[in-house]
Amino acid sequence: MFVEYTWLVPLIPVLCFVIVGFFGNKMHQGGGYLTIAGAAASFIIALLVSYDFWTSAAYVDPGYVTSYIKWFSLGGHDINIGYYVDSLSCLMMLFASFISMLIFIYSLGYMGEQGKRKRRYFAEVALFLTGMLGLAASSNFVEMFVFWEIMGLCSYLLIGFWGFNHPEGDDKADNAASAAKKAFIVTRLGDVCLMAGMFVLYQAFGSLDYTVVFNTANMAAVNSDTLMLASLLIFGGAIGKSAQFPLLDWLPDAMAGPTTVSALIHAATMVKAGVYLVARCFPLFVQNIDVMLFVGVIGGFTAFFAATMAMNNMNIKKVLAYSTLSQLGYMFLALGAGGYLMALGMQQGSEELIAAGALGYTAGILHMANHAFFKALLFLCSGSVIHSCGTEDMRLMGGLGKKMKITSITMLIGALSIAGFPFFAGFWSKDLVLETALDAASNGASGWIFLILWILGVVTAFMTAFYMFRLWYMTFAGEPRENAQHCHGESPHSMSLPLCVLACFAFAFGFVLLFGFDGMFTIGLNAAGLWQVGNGDAEGAVHYLVEFFTTPATYLTIALVLLAIGLAYLMYNKKSIDPGKFNKHGQSALYKVLANRWYFPELYNQLSWKLGYGVARGVEFFDRQVIDGSVNGLSNAVIEGGEMASKAQDGNAHTYAGVVIGGIVTLFVVALALFCVFGGI
Amino acid sequence: MIPIEYFLTFGAILFCIGAYGVLTKPNAIIVLMCIELMLNAANINFVAFAAFTGDVIGQVMVIMTISVAAAEVAVGIAIVLNAYKMKKTTDIDSLTSMRW
Repeated sequence: MFVEYTWLVPLIPVLCFVIVGFFGNKMHQGGGYLTIAGAAASFIIALLVSYDFWTSAAYVDPGYVTSYIKWFSLGGHDINIGYYVDSLSCLMMLFASFISMLIFIYSLGYMGEQGKRKRRYFAEVALFLTGMLGLAASSNFVEMFVFWEIMGLCSYLLIGFWGFNHPEGDDKADNAASAAKKAFIVTRLGDVCLMAGMFVLYQAFGSLDYTVVFNTANMAAVNSDTLMLASLLIFGGAIGKSAQFPLLDWLPDAMAGPTTVSALIHAATMVKAGVYLVARCFPLFVQNIDVMLFVGVIGGFTAFFAATMAMNNMNIKKVLAYSTLSQLGYMFLALGAGGYLMALGMQQGSEELIAAGALGYTAGILHMANHAFFKALLFLCSGSVIHSCGTEDMRLMGGLGKKMKITSITMLIGALSIAGFPFFAGFWSKDLVLETALDAASNGASGWIFLILWILGVVTAFMTAFYMFRLWYMTFAGEPRENAQHCHGESPHSMSLPLCVLACFAFAFGFVLLFGFDGMFTIGLNAAGLWQVGNGDAEGAVHYLVEFFTTPATYLTIALVLLAIGLAYLMYNKKSIDPGKFNKHGQSALYKVLANRWYFPELYNQLSWKLGYGVARGVEFFDRQVIDGSVNGLSNAVIEGGEMASKAQDGNAHTYAGVVIGGIVTLFVVALALFCVFGGI
Repeated sequence: MIPIEYFLTFGAILFCIGAYGVLTKPNAIIVLMCIELMLNAANINFVAFAAFTGDVIGQVMVIMTISVAAAEVAVGIAIVLNAYKMKKTTDIDSLTSMRW
């Protein structure tokens, strides 16, 4: 019965946006309290909707609820607007609204001194929340795309929040405006792909409703090459939004925004939209095994590629940004490997492979939720540190553990979770991801690719543990350095409270896997042959415990994680190993390549200067010379001609009379001539 | 009965004299008078055709033309009079301020 009120979930934040946007300056905290209340209301409604959906027997078949009204018609086909609720959208709505609420509370402290700018901040984050919740609740691609773009806009606005004057005086932040532009333009590339994919789907299906597009019979009726093209184009959108290779470079730059924005948009929610899109379109993607292989390759490679750049970065937020990229790569790897297994299973009719594929889907979804919790936590902790130290450079921190107890402990929990330390949330989902990749490696003709991806994934797990503990030790352990010496101490309660709540989830959320919730986040064909998320069999705690702890690969990962933590301890806390030994004190080629982000910004710049600017110059030339030229030339010709013709009006009555009479005579002569030639009228 | 060609030739000659006067005479009053000549040339044609065909409409038209011409002359004279007041001349070759 609550499911019918799903539309309220995205609607409440947009009301907050309007109210705060207009009247925020007259409200307490620039409308911050109202925004928090709005997020809380959305969360409660999402909770009721999810509870209703998951407990009521009426929704078991077909595993989703959808309802819509006609929005507009295009060439005889209707585009609708409405909601579509299944386990995936419930999960998205729940964690997005919950984490947003916590981050808004945190913002009261973090943005507390921004005065009038708080109105803009809270209005924009409220609008952003609308985008995220609307994306999760949309019932078709067009509606989804609208919310997708709202998020892109809010991301742009919030990255550029400081504009050209950052109050902390950080030199990196003085180009927040160009970072915002970069994020907007790079994601735009992906959005164009997504839009093209939607066109292809519309052409093939005549509708963009999820229920129509993901219908098994409808998909079977469409040419498989068309489906593949649509899948790849849609995945292009996911690459842009989730910052996967090669469109990954905007995310580290996006750290120029306030830390709360990084936590909200660039860690917990918006960058998950790409993963959500792939998970949502899973039935479409799985129709072609090569598409899923591509998804897995992009994900696995990005996981490794981004992690390398986090190894030697000195900016606390940038390290977390690369880590976000890397973890998003894991999610795509899980979805790709799961989809590969499922597609293979459908080709061979093997129930076992299909079940393994569904497990990969679960791994991807679960990692998405886990990552939202622990990465939001890590970003908020880093925000707390930045708030009290006034710098983002880890070389100027150190020894903060004594002054900021809550922050250091919660960040330790987050770091253990992301590193995959046993029994923390990240451990379960990351291990499930790697297990799926390993499973895919032993099946099918392209298995060897997944073997490489698995190795990359394991190496990434090692690197993740290393750079996270490097970050933790450099920040919280050892001697206080420059900025740390005059740090303000622990942040206010409005900031430390959300940290504690998130820390609980970052530790415990992984247990949903053990307590029988895994069946909700699986995917498969139901009895009627239709795709549905959820309603899978829950495997139970024993199954997973046995599966994890009887696989040698799990122990390999745990050992590598422990090794990495130990290495970080020796290098950055005990200092018995000098990090300078490995990089020749910052002079080795690899160090320089990593510090320059694999020359990716350079590549972007060259491309945009040489190609983009060149094309723009050409277009500008064409515009000015040909289009403007023809318009201006025409008008000039008319003006000149008018000037010349007006000279005939010399004001002399004799001339006029002469012209009139001359004209009449000419007419007369012509008429006479015609009369003579044709001989009569 | 005088043949109609005589009337038409007479009208044409009258018209050409009028047109010549309009085109060549500098004095605005004379130009107005020449315009009257051209109108009367047309009137002669009307009357000649009316008599020739026995249709009385032509004579009606002539009466119309004469009354319109009277009004036209009244307006024309008024314009010339005002132009003379402003410019102290009725030479239409020097009244050329209404131009581009």
